[in-house]
Amino acid sequence: MTARKSGSRLETEIERCRSESQWDKIPELVRQLSAKLISNDDLGELLLGECKLQTYLKENPIKQGASPRGPRPKLVEVRKHLTAALDRGNLKADYLQEASLLMAKLCYVEGEHRDALGHYSRVILEDMQLGGAPVYRLSMIAEAYATKGLCLEKVPAASPALSNQNTGSPASNRSATDREQDIITCYEKSGDIALLYLQEAEKALSAGIQNRSPKPGPTAQDLELGYFLETGLQRAHVIHFKNGNLTRGVGRFREILRAVENRTTQSLRMTIARQLAEILLRGMCEQSYWSPLEDPPTVSPLDDPTRQGHTISKNYSLSRRARVYSGENLFCPQENTEEALLLLLISESMANRDAVLSRIPEHNNDRIISLQSASVVYDLLTIALGRRGQYEMLSECLERAMKFAFEEFHLWYQLALSLMAAGKSARAVKVLKECIRLKPDDPTIPLLAVKLCIGPLHWLDDGECFANIVIDMGEKAAEFRAKGYLAIGLVYSLKATDASLRSTQEEYQRKALGAFQRSQSLSPTDHLAAFYLALQLAVSRQIPEALGYVRQALQLQGDDVHSLHLLALLLSAQKHYHDALNIIEMALSEYPENFNLLYTKVKLESMCRGPEEALLTCKHMLQIWKSFYNLTNPSDSGRGSSLLDRAIADRRQLNAMTLPDFSDLDTGSVHATSIAASRVEQALSEVASSMQSSAPKHGPMHPWMTLAQIWLHAAEVYTGMSKPAEASACTQEASNLFPTSHNVLYMRGQIAELRGNIEEAKRWYEESLSINPTHVKTMQRLGLILHQLQRYSLSEKVLRDAVQVNSTAHDVWNSLGEVLQAQGNAAAATECFLTALELEASSPILPFTIIPRAL
Amino acid sequence: MLGPERGVVEEWLSEFKSLPENRIPSYAGSLHLKKSLVSALYRVIQDPNNELMEPVCHQLFELYRSSEDRLRRFTLQFLPELVWVYLRITASRDRQSNGCIEALLLGIYNLEIVDKEGNSRLLSFTIPSLSKPSIYHEPSSLGSMALTEGALCQHDLIRVVYSGLHPQRETFTAQNRFEVLCFLMLCYNSAVVYMPLSSYQSVCRMSSRLCVCGFPRQQKKLWREPCNRVLLDPEFMVQMLTAVYHAIYNGEWEMGREALEDVLYRAQLELYSQPLLLANAMKNSLPDSAPDEPRGRKVLQVEVTPTINRISMSAITTASIRRHRWKREDCFDDSAAAELSHIVNPPSYNKHHHRHQHQHTPRDPATKEEREGRPHSHHSSSGIIPPITFEDADGLSGGEDSFNVNDPDEGFSSGASNSSQPSGTKAGVGQRGGSLNSSSSSIKKAITARLSRDKEREREKEREKEREKEREREREREAEREREREAEKQAELSADHQAAVLRHQQRQPSPPASIQLDAIQLSPRKKHLSFPAGPTLVRTGSTSSSKSFDCMNFNLNGGDDEREKAAGGSDREQGLPEGGAHRHSTISLKEEHLVRPEDAQDLLSTGAPLTKQSRSPSFNMQIISQV
Repeated sequence: MTARKSGSRLETEIERCRSESQWDKIPELVRQLSAKLISNDDLGELLLGECKLQTYLKENPIKQGASPRGPRPKLVEVRKHLTAALDRGNLKADYLQEASLLMAKLCYVEGEHRDALGHYSRVILEDMQLGGAPVYRLSMIAEAYATKGLCLEKVPAASPALSNQNTGSPASNRSATDREQDIITCYEKSGDIALLYLQEAEKALSAGIQNRSPKPGPTAQDLELGYFLETGLQRAHVIHFKNGNLTRGVGRFREILRAVENRTTQSLRMTIARQLAEILLRGMCEQSYWSPLEDPPTVSPLDDPTRQGHTISKNYSLSRRARVYSGENLFCPQENTEEALLLLLISESMANRDAVLSRIPEHNNDRIISLQSASVVYDLLTIALGRRGQYEMLSECLERAMKFAFEEFHLWYQLALSLMAAGKSARAVKVLKECIRLKPDDPTIPLLAVKLCIGPLHWLDDGECFANIVIDMGEKAAEFRAKGYLAIGLVYSLKATDASLRSTQEEYQRKALGAFQRSQSLSPTDHLAAFYLALQLAVSRQIPEALGYVRQALQLQGDDVHSLHLLALLLSAQKHYHDALNIIEMALSEYPENFNLLYTKVKLESMCRGPEEALLTCKHMLQIWKSFYNLTNPSDSGRGSSLLDRAIADRRQLNAMTLPDFSDLDTGSVHATSIAASRVEQALSEVASSMQSSAPKHGPMHPWMTLAQIWLHAAEVYTGMSKPAEASACTQEASNLFPTSHNVLYMRGQIAELRGNIEEAKRWYEESLSINPTHVKTMQRLGLILHQLQRYSLSEKVLRDAVQVNSTAHDVWNSLGEVLQAQGNAAAATECFLTALELEASSPILPFTIIPRAL
Repeated sequence: MLGPERGVVEEWLSEFKSLPENRIPSYAGSLHLKKSLVSALYRVIQDPNNELMEPVCHQLFELYRSSEDRLRRFTLQFLPELVWVYLRITASRDRQSNGCIEALLLGIYNLEIVDKEGNSRLLSFTIPSLSKPSIYHEPSSLGSMALTEGALCQHDLIRVVYSGLHPQRETFTAQNRFEVLCFLMLCYNSAVVYMPLSSYQSVCRMSSRLCVCGFPRQQKKLWREPCNRVLLDPEFMVQMLTAVYHAIYNGEWEMGREALEDVLYRAQLELYSQPLLLANAMKNSLPDSAPDEPRGRKVLQVEVTPTINRISMSAITTASIRRHRWKREDCFDDSAAAELSHIVNPPSYNKHHHRHQHQHTPRDPATKEEREGRPHSHHSSSGIIPPITFEDADGLSGGEDSFNVNDPDEGFSSGASNSSQPSGTKAGVGQRGGSLNSSSSSIKKAITARLSRDKEREREKEREKEREKEREREREREAEREREREAEKQAELSADHQAAVLRHQQRQPSPPASIQLDAIQLSPRKKHLSFPAGPTLVRTGSTSSSKSFDCMNFNLNGGDDEREKAAGGSDREQGLPEGGAHRHSTISLKEEHLVRPEDAQDLLSTGAPLTKQSRSPSFNMQIISQV
C-alpha cells in the first residue's frame, strides 16, 4: 500500500499501530526499535511523544468551544520527548516534519496558539506529499491544517493589532478578509485530507484484517475522528453559514457528501445530508438553485448582501483527493426538491439503520436519540414530498418510520394523515384509531376518521362511533363540537338513505335533523351546518324551511355549489322550474364544468324549454367531458409499490369524486346498495372488457362513468321525445362502457317499453334488479308492466318493496294506487293516490340525494 | 392615502412609461432601492377604492411582461397581498371593485402557464431512488434496503409532473379560482428567495388572515375587521405553508410561526389532511427558540456536531443486526454454505437461542406491550433479551430474517411476493414452527407461512440455495421426520422447562427441513390463496367474477359479438342485433363523436388516474419519460 520501501518488519508494525491508533503498543515497539540502532533513538522520542500526546487527548478530550489552558504534567513529558527528537536534528526529513507538527499540536493543546503557528511556519504544509504517504501521515496533515485554522482563529482575537479589524481602515479590513479566507482554506484542506485519510484507513484496516486473521478478531473498532479531524471536517461550512455565505456552505456540503462514505463518516454524512436538505428546503427555491455539478451563480440572493463580493471561490488544489462517487449514469439532481429528497432518502436509510429496536430501559436514551434524528428526517421528507403533492410516496416513507413509532403520537398521526392524503382510507382509519388512543382529547382525529368513514369508505357504524367521541368531549371540543354534531348528522342522514325499513328511515332522519340543528345553533356562521340542515329538511320534504336555511347558507358562502344546487332543486320542488333553471345557470357560470349541475339542467330544460335544448346541453356535456380529460395526458398513478396499494389507490379514484356515483343516478353520496351494485358491475365489466377490446381496460373508472352517465341522460331525453332509435343508440354507447350497469339495463327497458315490447322490457327490468335490487325507478316500471300484464299481486309486491326503499317516490305510490285499484282495493288505493299527490307537490325534479353528503 | 406616498406612486407610474428600451436593465437594478415606493404600493393595493389601483395594477402587469427577471420579481413580491385582497373581496361578494386585481392575477397566470415558445409549461421533477446510484450514494452501501421490492419497483426514476397543462383563463370562476391561485403561489414559491422581507410579512399576514377571518380565532387577533369566511382549497393551503415556512427561516420568525399556527388551526377545522400533514411536520421540526438575530438569515444555522455515533454499541439496531450478519458471513468462506449450515446443522446454536426466546415470549409483559404497538413484528421479541451480547443478538433469529422484518420497505412487499414465485422456506417456517411450539400439522405450518409472506422475498433467496441442497437432504428427510415428531412431542412436554428444552434442542436435528418440504409442496396453492387477500376491491373483483360468470352471460345481451361467443352463445340473443344495428346508426349526438373509447383510449391507456384530484395542478403525476 505504501510506495515507500518499508525497512524492517518492525517499522511496518509501527506504521500500522500508528495508523490504527494502537498507542498502547508503541512503547514496547520503541524499546525493540532502540535495541536495534542507536540512531533510532530520535525516532523513538518522536514516537513516545506522539503516543503520550494521543493517549492524553484520548483521556482528556478537548471540548468544543472550551479553550485549553495551562501546562499539565503529562504534557510536560510529551514536550520533553518532542524537544529531544527535534533538537538533535538527526531525524529524516519526513520524521522531522512530523515532529514539528506534533509539537505544534502540543502547543495548541497547551493553549500556546502563537507558538503553534510558529511551528507551522517552519513546516510547509502544502509541500507535504499526500500521494504514497502512510495512512497515519494523512491524518497528521489533516489535523495540522485543522489546528492551524483553530490557531489562526484564536490569534487575531487575542492580538490587539487585529482586534479592531471591523472598524479599521479598508486595508486592515482587506487583510481581515484574507485572513478569514486563509482560515477557511485551512479547514477545507483539513476536511478534504481527512476524508482521504478515512477512506485510506478503512481500506488499510480491512486489508489488514484479511491478511492477518483468518478467524474473525474482535469487531473492527470504528475509527474515531477526534477533535481535530472533526473540526476540520465541519468548521469550514459552519463559518460559511455563520457569515451568511450560503452558496459556499452548500458547495462545501456537497463536496463532503460526494466523497465515498465509510463507516466513520456515516454519521457525519447523515447530519450533513440532513442539514443540506434543510437548507435546500428552507433557504432555496427553484429559481435560485444550481445543480451540484454546475458552478454556483456569482451573485446569489442566498448570500448575505453586506458581504457580497467576499464569495471567493475555492482557491487551492490538492495533489490527491478523496474518492468521489463515480460511474456511468449517476443520478444528479437538477432541482432543489429533487436534491433535498435524495439527501433525505439517504439520511432516512441511515436513520433507519440506527433505529434502536430493543425496548429495555437501559436503552431508553439511545432510543430517544434514534427517534429524534429519524423524526427530523421524516418531518423534512413530509415537507419536501408534500409540497410536490407526492402523498403516495410519503405514506410509504412514513410507514418505514413505524419502527420508531411505538407510543409516538406524532409519527402515527403523520402516517394517518399521509395515508389519508394518498387516498388509502381504510388504513388511514385504522391508524387514526391508534392516534385516538394515544391522544384521546384531540377532537380533530376522530373527526378525520368520520370524514373518511362517511366519504370514501361508507363505514357508517364506525363513523357514528367516531362522531360520538367528539360529542362526548362536550365543551372540551370547543369549536369542533359543532363539527361533531354535523358529522353525526351526516352519518344518520346517510343511514336513513340506506335504511330499508321506513320506521328506521324516519328515526334516522329525525336524529339527523336534530344533530344538524344542534350543529347549526352551535356554529351559526358555518355555511355547511346551515346547508346540511336545509338538505335534511328538503329530504324530509319540509320545503319552505329548507329554503330558509339554504338562503342562510348562501349568505354565508355565496359560491357554494351544493347550496346553489339545493336551492334550484327546492325551487323545482315548488314547481318554479324557470327560477330553478335560472339558479342552475347562475351556478354553472361559476362551475361551468360541474356535471352534477348539468344533469339537473338537462332535466329542467326538457321540462320547460323542450327536449331540443336539453339535447344541446347533453352535447355540451360531451364537449366538456372531452376537453376535461383530453387535457390530461396519459399519466400513471403507479407509484404505489405493490399491487395492494395500487388497488387501493384505484379504489380511491373511484370514490373520491364530487359527482354522483354512476351506479346510482339518484344519489350523490355513496349508497350501501349502490356500492355493492357498482362492485358487481365493475367485476362484470372487468371480465367483459377482457373479452372485448374496445372497452377501456385500464385506469380509473370515474371518467368513463361520467361519460356513460351523459349518454344515459341523452337517452332519457330521447325517450322523452319518443325516439327509441336514438335513445337506443345512446344507451348502446353507455353499454359499451358498462354493459352490466343497472342504469343501462333500466334504460333499455324503457326503450323496449317505448317500442311496445312489454315482454322484453320486463326482462330488462328484471335484469336491472338482479344487479341492483333496490333500484326504485326500475321497480316502479316493473310494477307498472306487471300491472299491464295483469299480474296484480306480484306488481303490488314489487311496488310495495319500492315504497319501502324510498317512501317519497310519488310515482311509485301512484302506481301502487293503480294496482290496488285494479285489485278492487279502493280504500287503500285512495290512500296511495293521496300520498302520491301530496308527495308530488313537494317533489323535486331530481332527488335531493343527488347532492353529495360529505364532511 | 397621504400626499407624498401618492406622489411616489405617480412618479413611478410615469417614469416607466417614458423609459426607453435600453434603460430598462438599469431601471430594474435600481427599482428595489426605492424604499418608499413599495410601502406606498402596498397601501394602494390594500385600499380597493383607491383610484390609483387601476394604473398600478396595469403597471405591475407591464413589469411582469418585461423580459427582465428583476422587474418580474418586483411585481411578484406583491402577489400575496393581491391574493389576499382578491379573496377577501370575493368573499364579501363585492365583485365590481375587484376587476383590476383579477385582471392582474389572471394576466400573470396566463403568462406563467406557457413557456417562451408559447407551449404549455410542464413543471416536473424526478423522484430520486436509492436503488439507483447518485452523486451522493451508491446503492450497495445502503445495504439490502436498496434492493427491496419497493425500491426496485421504483428502480426507473420516475419523472413526475407536479403542475402543468393549465388552460388559459379569461375569467375567474368559483371552480377555477384555486387552480389559478395555487399556480400563482407556486410561481411565487419558486422565486421566494428573491423576495424582500416586506413580501414575507405580507405572505404571513395573508395566510393568517385567510385562515382565521370569520372564525372565532379572529377575535383573538389584533386584526378584527369583520369579514366573511374565505373558502380555502387544501392545495392552496399547502402552497401558503411553503411560503410561510420560508418566511419563518428567513427573517420572519414571529409572524411566520403565527401564520403556521393559524393555517394549522384552519386545516384542523376543515379536516384537510394535506395541509395538516405539512403544518404538523413544520411545527414539529421548528427549532426550540427564536434565532439570535431575527432579521437575518441566521436561522439556517449549522453547528459542529460530534460525529461519533451517539447510539451505544450495545443497543440493538437494524445496523447492529446487520453487522452480525456480516460477521457471520465472514466466518465462512462461502456465504451460501454459511446460510445453509446455519439452518441445517442440527446442533445449531442459533436455533436454540431463538427457540428459547420464543418459548419465553408469551410470559414477558414487555413483549405484550410491544405487540400492541407493532402487532406483526416478529422481531419485537428482541426487545426482551436482557443483557445483550453479540452472540445473543445473533442467535436471536437468523439475523437475516430479523433484519428484513425491519426492512424499511417491509410493508410493501406483499404485492411482489404474491406475484413472485411461490415460496416459503424453512427459515421463516421454521421460525414460526418454533413459536407455535406444538405439534402442528404441516398444513398448519403452511398457513403460517402464508401469514408470514412479508418475509417471502428474503426466503426466496434462501430457497434458491435450498434447492441445490435439496437432494442432499432427501436422504436425511425420513430420519428427520421421525426425529421431528419426537421433538415436537418433547417440546410440548417441556414447554416451560427451559433446561429440558435446551437439552432437547441440542439433540434435535433441524426439524425445519421437513417443514420446508411441506411448504414447497403447498406453495402453489398458497399463491392462489393469497391473491384475493388483497384489498376489498380485488377480492370482490376476482371472487365475484368467477361466481357470477353465469349471471354475466345471462345479462350481457347488450355486449358485443366477441363476448357473446366467449360466453358460449346464450339463447337470449334478441338484444344483440338490435344493439349492433344501432351502434352504427347516425344520430345527431353522434356527430359530435368524441367519446368512443377507441379514440380516448390512446390518451388514457397507461392506466391514467383521471380523477378530479389528479387533474389538480400539483397532483398531476405522470411519467413523461423514464430517465
